[in-house]
This record gives sequence, structure tokens and C-alpha cells, in this order.
Amino acid sequence: MGDKVFTFIVGGKAGEGVKKAGSVASKLFKGMGRNVFQMDDYQSLIRGGHNFSVVSSSIGDITSHYMKADLLVLIDSLSYEIHKEQITKEGIIVYDSDVIGYGEGIGVPLSSEAKNHESPDLIKGVGAVTALFAALGLDKSQLESTIRTEYSKNAEENVSYAMSIFEAVDRKIEGKFTLEAGESSRPMLTGNESIALGAYASGLDIYYAYPMTPSSSILHFLAAHEKDLGITTVHPESEIAVINMAIGSAITGARVMVGSSGGGFALMEEAISLAGMTETPLLCILSSRPGPSTGVPTYTSQGDLGFAIHPGHGEFPKIVASPGSISEAFYVAAELMGLAWQFQTPTILLTEKHLSESSMTVDIDVRMANWAEAVMHKEGEYKRYLDTSNGVSALLSPPSDELIKWNSYEHDEMGITTEKAEIIVKMQDKRRRKRETIERYMKDMQTVNRYGDKGPVICTYGSTTMSVLEALRYKGMNARVVQPLYLEPFPVWEFEGYENEGVIVVEQSSIGQFATIIKEKTGITATKVIKKYDGRSFDPIELSEELQGVI
Amino acid sequence: MDDLTTYAQNTWCPGCSNFGIFNAFKDAIRELEERGTSRDRVIMTAGIGNHAKIFDYLKLSGFYSLHGRSMATAQGIKMANPDLKVVTFAGDGDAYGEGMAHMIFAAKRNADITVIVHNNGVYALTTGQITPVSEKGTKGPSTPNGSVEPPLNPLALMLEAGATFIARGYPLWMDQLTEIIVSAVEHEGFSIVEVLQPCISFNNTYAKYNDMTEVLKKTPESYDEVMKVVKMKDKIPIGIMYKVKRPTYHRELYGNSNPVMDRVKKEDRRERIQELIWARY
Repeated sequence: MGDKVFTFIVGGKAGEGVKKAGSVASKLFKGMGRNVFQMDDYQSLIRGGHNFSVVSSSIGDITSHYMKADLLVLIDSLSYEIHKEQITKEGIIVYDSDVIGYGEGIGVPLSSEAKNHESPDLIKGVGAVTALFAALGLDKSQLESTIRTEYSKNAEENVSYAMSIFEAVDRKIEGKFTLEAGESSRPMLTGNESIALGAYASGLDIYYAYPMTPSSSILHFLAAHEKDLGITTVHPESEIAVINMAIGSAITGARVMVGSSGGGFALMEEAISLAGMTETPLLCILSSRPGPSTGVPTYTSQGDLGFAIHPGHGEFPKIVASPGSISEAFYVAAELMGLAWQFQTPTILLTEKHLSESSMTVDIDVRMANWAEAVMHKEGEYKRYLDTSNGVSALLSPPSDELIKWNSYEHDEMGITTEKAEIIVKMQDKRRRKRETIERYMKDMQTVNRYGDKGPVICTYGSTTMSVLEALRYKGMNARVVQPLYLEPFPVWEFEGYENEGVIVVEQSSIGQFATIIKEKTGITATKVIKKYDGRSFDPIELSEELQGVI
Repeated sequence: MDDLTTYAQNTWCPGCSNFGIFNAFKDAIRELEERGTSRDRVIMTAGIGNHAKIFDYLKLSGFYSLHGRSMATAQGIKMANPDLKVVTFAGDGDAYGEGMAHMIFAAKRNADITVIVHNNGVYALTTGQITPVSEKGTKGPSTPNGSVEPPLNPLALMLEAGATFIARGYPLWMDQLTEIIVSAVEHEGFSIVEVLQPCISFNNTYAKYNDMTEVLKKTPESYDEVMKVVKMKDKIPIGIMYKVKRPTYHRELYGNSNPVMDRVKKEDRRERIQELIWARY
């Protein structure tokens, strides 16, 4: 972590304003021109339990939070027990002396002060923000203006609480940390916001979704901005309704997207196959939590990789990609929307809770986003499934004088149902050729990211890429990181030359699905597979030690 | 072959009442054209079953959907371009079994689509199993000792769910069926037209229907009256049973705009993203 990264952890019960305190801290660091990574750890409950927010920032690149903090603010006893060891050498713990009693660090009566105010629980997050301001040597007027903007609902109450906490804490930790400021402030987004905006940039008109953590915030974000973006969001009765409605809208010419987590995606599978058969452009977001079944809703996992690249019954082309950073999520969402329309087939953006719900300062050039367009029918008799050499038939949306028939049964070129052997073969060949066309096209695309030019080869993908890069950065280690952005069709052509190298795989799966796919597709056997499957993303310090052990 | 029929070979059994629905629907399309709705604006979806073969036979654009999902596909079409009229063909297995949740919710939100249910009381395409509306005791390959379940009353359920147009038709009374379909398609909101469809191979109900059907003289006005009509046991009333005005789903969602006609332009989108990104955090 060196001297450049500063980490702030705030922990407490659900309902105590923990996540909000993390976001206010992020905004403060971002305002200083620092790069920020925020990870929120919360449980599937409304009140109680244990929540914490980790905000790491640096003037250099940073792609992960750190689980060792410079400043820890622990506002309930469970947080104190869990986090008190997660501290850097020079770090400080600030804790609520009313609930924890005597502990290591600086006790501040966060609760008894709060009792003088209206909503004593939520307000404790304000206390955490106040401790951060004091520790960074910021003054009362800066604190007041931040509290006024960020906690505007009960501004007076919150400001007076913050002032009293500031008095109590300031003498003890005033200006303990001095943070370097960066050159310019960059915007910050969650992964789900980035995905939503990328899809929008490429033409998204209607988003269909049924709430399922960790994908729900795509729906919440787009619904909140429906009017200013000029789009429609729909939350119907089930994921099955979601995807079938989306298909109806897509054939009518609307750029559509659906999103869910593993369970909801499973419900959508029949219609993913339908989209493949009917050749309907459709972008699906799959944000993973640990499974199987309901699993662990608010935690992270890469256990859906095999599921994501083999969705639906029957044989049809699909394109699957997984972004390795929050900025990349923007471009990948736009590119997958583009590919869905270019090749008229389902595309899947596979991601994880760790990317979906973490937030990060981003570099996004909106002009670089793909714009989704299809080959449109111009004139003459229209055949929905015209047999072409590349497998792609021109699109036409109603209303039209031409007959447009989309068919879930095997069909002839017009879209009329068939059981004739020679037509079945012709259409199976058409869809297979389309897959080959996609693969040829992908050879000219950037399907793999590479980082570093010397050292051992590390293969990883998705949000784990961020953890790997930060682990290497932490120890200043050299490695060549190979991150396939596209997972189906798998870019085997990018793996030539690695056959005789010892490849280390890092992934968040208990059975090593990614290593298995690399072996299956490229013939390369990993010399070591570093796995984590406890629902938490890798901590860069721990991962760097694991990597050091095998490099 | 007329101008509304494709080249597809018709495989319904000779004498199948689906022919009556097919012909009544073609007449309805012609009537709708006379009244100003051109056929290119009427889009069809179909579920899976013998009813759904109408998709192949009708020279009309549309989407041959999955079993039970044709109502969802239809709602998606309407959502994207509200200028289109969308008609869903469904069987009783499709609409009342596999896809019942979609029916209830389409009625609840008053989605502006028309659902024509070919109710033959049997899964004919899969050789004669019971459906959600089969009487208790009905025997079939999946219930050789007779079904132990009582039947659903789908029209009562649709009324309760919020359908704003409910009708029942009989293919032998073709002109009336045509009129019902025209009214259903023109109705702004969720319309269900249940068509009694005797299946001559697996569930021949012609004699029963000829005996029990009765033209409904007047569309009832109060909810209680309608409920009485849809629950009638000694007679089977045929006609429009319910018709009320209620705002449609798409209008409630986005007013008079049209998602595919009023798409936000590429450059505009970029500006809006910039504004939004900088307003975050």
C-alpha cells in the first residue's frame, strides 16, 4: 500500500448510515482529485446485522479497496470485534464509547450525543464523517458545508451533532493524516451505473427487469433517470415476463436490455434460446452472487461463468463478455448492445456484485461508445430469415407492407414453420455460419486485455482483474496479466504462445471454472489456480502474498 | 387462397372449429381496414398448440412465441410502438395454464392488447390431456382415472384482475365472432375474447355448445351483473360481457410518446450522459 493509499473503513448496523458515510468520504477524496475505490459490504436485511463501507484512495491508480484501514470508525460493538485488527501501522480506531466501553483507540460518545437529536441511529454515520474530517485536518466550516449538502433532510440537527462530535474528537486526532491532492477531479460511478449508461449510449430505449440483487440498482438508476434520459423502464411480474416482453420490443425496433442475477437469469433461459432461434437482438446483464440457488444475495462470486456461456437449449450463437473495471463496463455494455444488433442474437454481459455495486473514479469518453445498428431491409420482397453467406439476414420492423414473421419453431426463410429435413439443415447451417461470422469479426476486436510486459503470466477475468492489478501494484510485482474480455466465442487466437509458460489463474469459483475453460479452449493447463469463494472479493494484500508464494 | 392466407399447408382436422376462428379473424381484419386500421398495423403473436398454427396460415406480420408467453411478447410489441394494434392467439393451456400470470398482470395493468383464447378444453396437440378448464372427472392420458381438480373460471378471474373488455364467441356464429373481434381490437385496453372451440378429435363439444349457448342480448353494466353472467352454469352466454374505459398501461407509463418513433439521438445521449456523470457523487 506504501504511503500513497489512504483507507477509511466505517462499520455499524444496517440503518446507521454506514454506506452513506462511505459515499460522503468517497466524494471528499474525489474532490481532492484522488482516485477512489469504494466497496460496500452489507447483508440481506433491513435493520441490525453488520454493514461496513471501505473507501481507499490514492493519487495514483487504484483498482481495489484495502481491508486494512488508516482510519477505522466503528459505531457498534460487532463492528469493533470484527474490524479492530484491520488497521495499518499508523492507523487509528475511533469507536463509539457508549456501546463499546473501553477499547483500543479513541472512544467518542457517538450514541449519547446522538440521543440529544431526533434520529439517533442514522445520525451516527454523520459522526463517522466528522471523525474523518478531523483526522484529515479539515476545519469546522468545511465540515458544516458538507453535512448541510449531504444530510440535507435534517440539516440543522445533523450539523449541530457534527459540531459536538468534532469538539470531542478533534483534540485527539486533529490533522493526523495529510493527504496529497491530485490534479483534477474525476467522476465516480458504480459498476451498475456504468453498465446502464453504456447501454444507453449505444441506444437503449427500454429496460426490463425484475428486482434481484446485485443487479437491481441498474433498474433503480435507470428508473430514477427515465425522464432526463428519455427512456422507458418496466418492472413486470417475473423474469419470464421481463425477457419475453423485451423480445417483443426488440422486434418492434426498440433497443432493449434485461438484467438479473443467477436465479432470474435461469428463469430467462428458455427465452434466451427463443432470441437465438428468432434471431432477436437482446442484451442481457447477469450480475453474479454466490450460488447455487438463492445463495448469498449481497455478496460476490464468479460461479456463473459456465452458466453464462452456455445459456439456453439448442444450438445458437451468443456472445458473452465480462468487464474488468467500472470504466470498461461502460464500453462493454455499449459494444454488446452493438453486437446484439449487428448479429441479431443474444449477448450477455457477465459481471459480479463486486463490480456491480462497488464504485470507482472513472475515465469514460462517451464518444468511444458503440452505437447499435442493424443491417436493415431496403426494398423488394422481404424474407425474415433470408439465407445469406454470413448467416445474417436484414432486419425490418413493423409496420410494413412486407410480411415479417418471427418464429420460435424451425422455419423457412419466410418465417413459416417447417419440419422438412433439408430446411432444418439449411437453418441450422445459417445459425452456425452466423457464429463463424461473429468469431471472424471478433478477431479484429479487442477481446483480450494485457497488462505488464514481463514476469509470469496471470490469467483472470471480470472484477477479479481489479483485485489482481491492485495486488501487483501493492507489492510492485512484475507479471503479465491476460484478461479475456470476451468469454464466448472464446478468443483462443489470443492465447497462442502461452502454451509453454506457467500460467497462474486467479478466479472466484470453488471448482476453478475459468481454469477449466482455458484448458478446454486453449489446451493450456494452469500451474496454479488461486481461488476464493467466500463471497468476498480478494483483498489486494492477501492476494499479493498468495501470488508471491507461487511466482 | 385469399389475400390473408399464406402458402403454408393447413393441417387442422377437417371440420375443426379453428377454421371458424381463422375465417372470422380474416373478416375482422377486412372490417378493421374499412374502419381505418390497415393490416400492416395489426401485429399478431401466438403461443404453442393447435390454435397457434394460425400464425403460419395468416398473412399478417408477427411473432410465433413460446408456450404461455405470447401475451408477454405482445405487451412488449405494444410498449415499443403504441401505434400498433397487437392481437395474441392463445390456447386454453397457454393462456390459463402456462401463461396465466401474464394474463392476470396484463389485465391488472390494462395492457392495450387483445387476447383471443381458443378454448377447446383439451391439450390437443399433445394428444388429449386435461387443461385448467377441464371439468372434474375428465379422463385423458395424464389423468386415466379422471381429473381430481375442479376447473378454473378464467373470465371471472379476468374480471377480478382488471380486464376492461371481456367477451365470449362461438365459431359457428361467425358474423358475431367477427364483430366481437373488431370491437376487442378497437377497444383501448386489455381485451379478452374467449372462443368456445370444439375439438372434433379429442373433445367434441359441438352438441353441448349448440344446446347451451345463448346470445347475450345486452352488455351488462354493473360488476355484479357481469360476475353473474360469467359464472352462469345452465347457459353459456355469447357476446360482449364487459366493456369499460380505464387508462392503458403504456399511456400511464409514458403518455403520448412512442419509444421507437421518438428515440433520443446519439449526440443528445452523449450530452445527457456527461451531465449525469458529473452530477453523481
